[in-house]
Amino acid sequence: MTTAIDPTPDQPVHKTITVQASPERAFQVFTGGIDTWWPRTHHIGQSAMTKTVIECYAGGRCYSEQADGTECVWGSILAWEPPHRFVMAWQIDQQWKYQPDPAQSSEVEVRFTPEEGGATRVDLEHRHFNRLGAGADTMRTAVASPMGWAGLLRGFAVQVD
Amino acid sequence: MQTYQALQLDALGDATRRAVLERLLAGPLPVGEIARDFAISRPAISQHLRILKQAKLVTDRSAGTRRLYQLNPEGFDAIRSYCDRFWTQALAAFKEQVENPIPKEK
Repeated sequence: MTTAIDPTPDQPVHKTITVQASPERAFQVFTGGIDTWWPRTHHIGQSAMTKTVIECYAGGRCYSEQADGTECVWGSILAWEPPHRFVMAWQIDQQWKYQPDPAQSSEVEVRFTPEEGGATRVDLEHRHFNRLGAGADTMRTAVASPMGWAGLLRGFAVQVD
Repeated sequence: MQTYQALQLDALGDATRRAVLERLLAGPLPVGEIARDFAISRPAISQHLRILKQAKLVTDRSAGTRRLYQLNPEGFDAIRSYCDRFWTQALAAFKEQVENPIPKEK
């Protein structure tokens, strides 16, 4: 028997920030320089993260290097148009594990638009969360997995820190 | 946004309410049937459902003379809400690094 719950609609996350730098520099720091700013706490490895890497070309991987010597892939570059925009598959599933299939992953698009005074507006859209599964299955996973209760609490801690 | 998150955390911080949510995993139920599984009174269950509803973790609708409660998929979209908070934090760190580069240690 199916329940009366509708499939989860796509509700992208939108973020915008303006930085005092050229689009070229903003694009370079965001991608090639990602290790200089990416939060050290955000990775899917079993040990501490030592480095975050984006391979700067279409088809390139996004991965982390861990203290135990392993590499953890968590994404891939779907579109690469420096210094204007890039799109990456965000290959992390509901269980906080690597999802090899980009078609079952959410994705992140980042656009860099020049503004007056040499600034750059950075628009980020994280979308297609609904590809991770819809309706009851999603909820069952969300309730049962560490990303359910524990994830909410952890996310909240990050927010108030 | 903050208020909504805080409401969810409060709602999830109670063992009875977590048990009610787990009970609803199987599908929509009226309050009477939920209450049957618990040692507390039906009005107490209604109160818990009200809190879960305010936190957007459950929704309700009428079906004939009964009111059915069901899980709200949006409220359980943990990955999405995690990413929403994550990007706020990450972009602030990105802006800081673009504008005031800190040389890498090691």
